[in-house]
Amino acid sequence: MAEQAAENELSFLALVCDVLKSIEKESHDVTQKMTDLKSQLQRARDCVEKMPGIQYSKTEQLKQIDVLRNQMAVKTELLQKYKHMQTFDLSQ
Amino acid sequence: MAAISTKQKLLQLIEDTEIISKEIFELMSTPKQQQRADAPETQKLMELLVLKDKEIKENLKIAAEQAEIQKTVDELKTEVDKRDTDIRNLQKNLKEAETILSTAIYQAKQKLEAIRQANNKTISSEELIKFAHKISASNAVASPPTWTPGDPRRPYPTDFEMRLGFLGKCSGDLPINGQQLQSQGSYGEPMSSNRTSAGLGEPTSASTPSSVSSWQPPPELHHSLSTGSGGASGFLTEIKGHNKENEDVGFMSSDSSSSSSSDE
Repeated sequence: MAEQAAENELSFLALVCDVLKSIEKESHDVTQKMTDLKSQLQRARDCVEKMPGIQYSKTEQLKQIDVLRNQMAVKTELLQKYKHMQTFDLSQ
Repeated sequence: MAAISTKQKLLQLIEDTEIISKEIFELMSTPKQQQRADAPETQKLMELLVLKDKEIKENLKIAAEQAEIQKTVDELKTEVDKRDTDIRNLQKNLKEAETILSTAIYQAKQKLEAIRQANNKTISSEELIKFAHKISASNAVASPPTWTPGDPRRPYPTDFEMRLGFLGKCSGDLPINGQQLQSQGSYGEPMSSNRTSAGLGEPTSASTPSSVSSWQPPPELHHSLSTGSGGASGFLTEIKGHNKENEDVGFMSSDSSSSSSSDE
């Protein structure tokens, strides 16, 4: 759903075609069409700014997941160690 | 070198699209005769625009995947934070337990040391009770429960008892050992003797003459008394007067010793 919305925001070909048609017809709404295209470009930029997780590349993200999974494993192990620790070590 | 992020790629593609569009509009709005010789063909620019659009679509797909990955990353971060909190709490509890246990161990060691000391220096209860009677019979360590201001019974230690105590030992003016403590115990209460002689209610009626006769001054005191001036002889008179009170102590001590031996 979000992907579809982003795709709509980031499609400019239709608007470019509209502007070209207006130029060919020497229509009076060229300026309006160009303003529309400009607005669309600005909306696209805003949309990109709001997209989650794209401040990293995919490789970096996958690396981050690996690091977090390792941390999880280590911390879970530490917790288990604490929880199953002998209350009193009488062997010493 | 870090890879370019998807965000940067998308923003760059939008920028490219804007530039190419502007170029196409310029070309379209300029008559062919006025166009520059090195101006790019409109067809090629259109193809480039379509290519950029395709790239945007591809990057949007990647962005969607990254959004999913980001969800996983966020979940993992939350889990890691939760583990961190658990670990911190557990460490705090363990530290608290360690503090409590170390205090308990320290106290237990002190008690064991006290037990060891007590075992090494055993004192018979009989002797202890005797001494307790001795120091408490004349109200020297604490005033009687019914004591009020004006009561002649002393709620404070005498000069001699002070000298027998720790402070007296520290000042070192009178060498005291266990033997002396017993033998000299009868002459150190000038204030109480005065009151006793004035008949102010000191409980001395239980004294026995035998304990008075058993008292002998230590050699050094005897020497100082025999060679001293009139003040010394006055002191001796006072001492003799005080024997009465200590007889009471002696009596109580012997009483307690007899009771404790009867227990055995």
